[in-house]
Amino acid sequence: MTDMTVFIVDDDPAVRDSLGLLLGLRGYRTAIFADAESFLGAYAADWCGCVLIDIRMPGMDGLALQKHLRERQCNLPVIVMTGHGDVESAREAFKAQALDFLEKPLDQARLAAAIDDALDRCAASRQESGQRARFAELLKTLTPREREVMDMIVAGGHNRDIAERLGISPRTVEVHKARVMQKLKVDGVAQLVRFSLETR
Amino acid sequence: MLAHNDRSRNQTEYSKPMLIARRLGWVDALLLVAGYVALDWASFFHPLHGLNITPWNPAPALGLVFLLRYGWKAAPPLALAVLLAEVWVRDLPISLPALLAIAVMLATGYGAIGDILRRRLGGVGIFSDRDGMLQWSGIVVAGTFFTSLAFVLVLVALGLIPAEDWQQAVGRYWIGDGVGILVSMPLLWMLFDERGRTVLRATVLRRETIGLVLAAGMALWVAFGLGAESDFKYFYILFLPIIWAAARQGLAGAVLSAALIQVGLVFSVQSLGFAAVTAFEIQALTVVLALVGFFVGVVLDEQQRISAELRQTLRLAAAGEMAGALAHELNQPLTALSAYGTACEELLARGDTGDNLKKAIRLMVSESFRAADVVRRLRDFFRTGTTHLEPVSVAELLPAAAAAFHSRAAENGVTLSVMPVPEGIVMADRPQVEVVLRNLLANAFDAVSAQPAGQRTVRLSAVVEGADRICIRVEDSGPGLSTVDAARLFEPFNSTKSSGLGLGLAISRAIAEAHGGNLWAEVGGRGVFSFILPFERKTDHD
Repeated sequence: MTDMTVFIVDDDPAVRDSLGLLLGLRGYRTAIFADAESFLGAYAADWCGCVLIDIRMPGMDGLALQKHLRERQCNLPVIVMTGHGDVESAREAFKAQALDFLEKPLDQARLAAAIDDALDRCAASRQESGQRARFAELLKTLTPREREVMDMIVAGGHNRDIAERLGISPRTVEVHKARVMQKLKVDGVAQLVRFSLETR
Repeated sequence: MLAHNDRSRNQTEYSKPMLIARRLGWVDALLLVAGYVALDWASFFHPLHGLNITPWNPAPALGLVFLLRYGWKAAPPLALAVLLAEVWVRDLPISLPALLAIAVMLATGYGAIGDILRRRLGGVGIFSDRDGMLQWSGIVVAGTFFTSLAFVLVLVALGLIPAEDWQQAVGRYWIGDGVGILVSMPLLWMLFDERGRTVLRATVLRRETIGLVLAAGMALWVAFGLGAESDFKYFYILFLPIIWAAARQGLAGAVLSAALIQVGLVFSVQSLGFAAVTAFEIQALTVVLALVGFFVGVVLDEQQRISAELRQTLRLAAAGEMAGALAHELNQPLTALSAYGTACEELLARGDTGDNLKKAIRLMVSESFRAADVVRRLRDFFRTGTTHLEPVSVAELLPAAAAAFHSRAAENGVTLSVMPVPEGIVMADRPQVEVVLRNLLANAFDAVSAQPAGQRTVRLSAVVEGADRICIRVEDSGPGLSTVDAARLFEPFNSTKSSGLGLGLAISRAIAEAHGGNLWAEVGGRGVFSFILPFERKTDHD
């Protein structure tokens, strides 16, 4: 949690300063940007946390920034703030997968909830991606036959079908399957299917 | 049970005529009787067979006004008034029961006309729009025809009119009654109405009134003094003063000048001693004259009312647009305030009462001043309907307005260019002028969106015109405007876009005019909007 940062992008100095102060006091790490361009310029793929973006800014506006971030495959959760909550920009923001849409002046409780939610998601997705990376590593330890069996399990085959198709006994399939589970450190077929689909 | 009661009460409310009949007091009844007899006496000339068949019979107009105001309750005093008028003014050789029958019949006839008017027009709407006016004149013309017919038939039956003259008698009585009512009723109606009196007073108490009276006198002299020998071929001159009055002062002006001309006409007819036939012809012309005046007046009233309503709407819409722009500005300090406030709570909770807290509180105070400033501007706009003028550098204004469009330009493949801008300042309300520029730029972007890629350009430029005006131009490579488009463009609620009310340009023009400038679109093969503002070349301010 400690290395997660709340990135604040707002053209209004008082707004970003006050939000920075408040969130800092609440124990969040914050980083402040005066416009979308400087945020994009500084952005690095390993950033973790969430982004608070003001919609109306001179130059690139908040919605455009959101699009740019998506184009860069950035999966930092985005919370959009706006001075006038019109339906059109809310729709745009959510279409670009904003996590929340907050109207200014901000309701501090909602802001805190949104930020916590965003950070949880970021942590979860980081954990997921960590698991995925580990899973990808573990996959390499499988023998070709084990890999073959795994693919068939993931494709939904039963032990008997797999045995028939590979020309081995169902008992041997059982053995391969147990080895696969053990090597990949998964608890069951369901998790195996999920992980293998995600790493594909 | 309760529901049933409610419904029945509502039904009775709906079935009531819109005009609530007033209580008819003794004074009102007396006024009606005395007024009726006086009017009848004053207008009793050129009688046919010594009967109440005269070229101008305004007394029933008074009766109708009372019937409209008081309902059927005014009919008995009206019958009495008719009876007294017959006895005093004419002293006819018929029995009292016959006179009574005539009086009751006439009062019933006028009562019926009044009742129809009340039902159709609800009393309030008669003289406020063209439709009411048209219905009113139709009902009066038809109604007086039937009362005339009935009246004359009774008189023929009583032997007071030779049977072979009945058609002529009906015609004359109809004209006399109809003209009397059509010409006099609007004036009497206004005189008996509080608001009408105020309007009439305001209309009379003007310097222009002297001119109008002189013009009416002149027209009467030309029509009757010069025109008497030539079959009144200059009668049309009388249209001039009445049209003048109607066009300048609406219905009130038309009503007053119609009354003035009617009195002048009667006076001329009397003093010049015209034959009765001529007098009736003149009356027929008079009614046309009066109605034309009334309709011009009513159209003017309507148009003024609509334009006042529209101005109000526009002002509200402009205020709404402004409020939208200002809401953002207002929400920024409020956001900062609430964040600082919560931070202060946090600081207090952890016992930090030192410099951090002081600094946060100081920032809160300055943010609250910032918010107050925005509110002040909004309030000023509502109060004056205009603006908070401050010197704004044109060289700053244009690039700032264009800046908001750069990302849109990049996205839509539009070449947006801002030409070098002359140094100088405009006295302007910056948010308002920005609303106009944003509006024009947004329109330009919409206009070029249908052009093929590579041919979408929007150009923002400014040139100094004359000594003290600057013309800011927004040009686009779109299809441009036809003459018809350009004329209708600034009308509110006339949008070519599927979304929006089409108020943008109307508001923009209102803002331009509030700045002492102007805004128009040029007709041509591409879009050109010119926004004129008063300009100072030399920047004396800082």
